[in-house]
Amino acid sequence: MPDLITDLITDAELVRRFPGQPLSHDSAAHYRGRLARKLLINRCAACGTWHHAPQPICPACWSTDVVPTEVAGTGTIHLAVFLHQGPPAEGVDYSTPYPVVTVELDEQPGLRFTGTVVGSPNEAVAIGKRVTLDWIDRAGTPVPAFRLVESSAS
Amino acid sequence: MISSRNPAKNLVAIAGAATTGFSSKNTPRSQASYAAEACTAVIRACGLQAGDIDGIVGTNPSAAEVQAMLGIPEVTFFANPPIPVGNHMAAAVAAVHSGQCDTVLVYHASYRLPWNTASALKDPFRGLGPSMAGPGPDTVGGVVGYTAWAARYMYEFGVPKETFGRIAINDRSNAVHNPAAAMRTPMTMDDYLSARMIRWPLCLLDMDVPVDGADAFIITTTERARDLALPPVLVNAVTLGMIDKNEEDQTPSLRHHGHQVVVNNLRAKSDFWTDGCDLYYAYDGFTPITLNWLENAGWCGPGEAGAFIESNWDAAGSRIMINGRVPLNSHGGALSEGGTQGSGYIREAVHQLQGLAGDRQVAGARTALLTLGGFFFNAQGLTLVRD
Ligand SMILES: [Zn+2]
Repeated sequence: MPDLITDLITDAELVRRFPGQPLSHDSAAHYRGRLARKLLINRCAACGTWHHAPQPICPACWSTDVVPTEVAGTGTIHLAVFLHQGPPAEGVDYSTPYPVVTVELDEQPGLRFTGTVVGSPNEAVAIGKRVTLDWIDRAGTPVPAFRLVESSAS
Repeated sequence: MISSRNPAKNLVAIAGAATTGFSSKNTPRSQASYAAEACTAVIRACGLQAGDIDGIVGTNPSAAEVQAMLGIPEVTFFANPPIPVGNHMAAAVAAVHSGQCDTVLVYHASYRLPWNTASALKDPFRGLGPSMAGPGPDTVGGVVGYTAWAARYMYEFGVPKETFGRIAINDRSNAVHNPAAAMRTPMTMDDYLSARMIRWPLCLLDMDVPVDGADAFIITTTERARDLALPPVLVNAVTLGMIDKNEEDQTPSLRHHGHQVVVNNLRAKSDFWTDGCDLYYAYDGFTPITLNWLENAGWCGPGEAGAFIESNWDAAGSRIMINGRVPLNSHGGALSEGGTQGSGYIREAVHQLQGLAGDRQVAGARTALLTLGGFFFNAQGLTLVRD
């Protein structure tokens, strides 16, 4: 993604912005995308297969031409938990259980991304609900999250 | 590939097993001290000495540390596999059968650590180790994974929380009769349902108990085991199982993960399955794993574990007795004996098959089926038979 201004951020600065995240030469583009509020998922230029988390090779055809590619961010909740306790994180108060959902993205069956849900009470968050990508800020760094699509919100 | 090929079948044996017992409180002892206690106990129980050991398999402390600590003069094989302990057994059996060594000491020391119990932080010797900075709360990786798939299990099959509770109660009822167990106070369904919620839908009593303690084993050829002090327990088959999409949130489904690989391969290699087993052990680091093992091993169909447990519930003993005769996790499992990452189930199966299980002894037990580990990167299984 040479058009991203975030390419100007050094690798060292990227590591500083994402403490505790699995940063590597394979995942750096994904995290640079986050700084631009773009959800980039690796897609194989040879066979079109998507995969996540970012790997250096396509697991379907072994092409190394894997391209971090922006996804629509729409999908369906596949897994859902509510954390009554958890690791310290800015803006997270577990007195209201913190929702974490794994979303099956529309781009490919089985391609999933995990994040929290914003904009709805926990009672409305459930497996099977449709969501779309949103972003929250944590310590000044964008974190991908999901928002229930109105028609499926209860 | 799934295959019935099993040239080591019944030719390698577990000659003995020993435990220190387990504590759910921080003890003023090191992890190494528990390993030392269990290792020396099992070597002595088998009538062996340090110089008879030529293979060492364990994780923490390392094989090198254990060799130095126990003064084992020379080994020709050692390994430090990841937990759970089916990995250790698979390595030991392969090493003995291939001739890389003859007599392997396998050990596993459980130790309460700051990442699984906040109170362990109070012991400065348990340390925080390298950076504890994690990825934050926006993930289902690590301990959250089984909670996420528990929610999926409830969604797909309409399973109530009480079904998970049956697993916890069964384990506790069995642990009452196990002096090595950390948690021995009987548990009711009310106790279970009122336990503190940790990560919905799982509560404190759905999760294994962090403990201090250790188990140890001697693995050798069946021929040599027959000359030792205790009845040999033959390894009928052992397998590990993993699939490509093994990350918690990318795992394809409840019916496609490591369990199915283990079941298909272990069944193909073993002389018996559910019909022919006298003892059954299913991993219970989290209650949903056990429910899914019951279904995936074929005791019942998908989503039917709750009904299966109801119809095999021994009300008098407040525990599962399959067909009125096969207990599930006769030692109390990780939920009540303590989180042994697999070693407790194997040790208990060995003691049952040797007739050394005390008040818990299943009369005449000759065969044990063990399905250990979880869905993602650590499913494994063994079949064991008395010689
Ligand atoms: Zn490809």
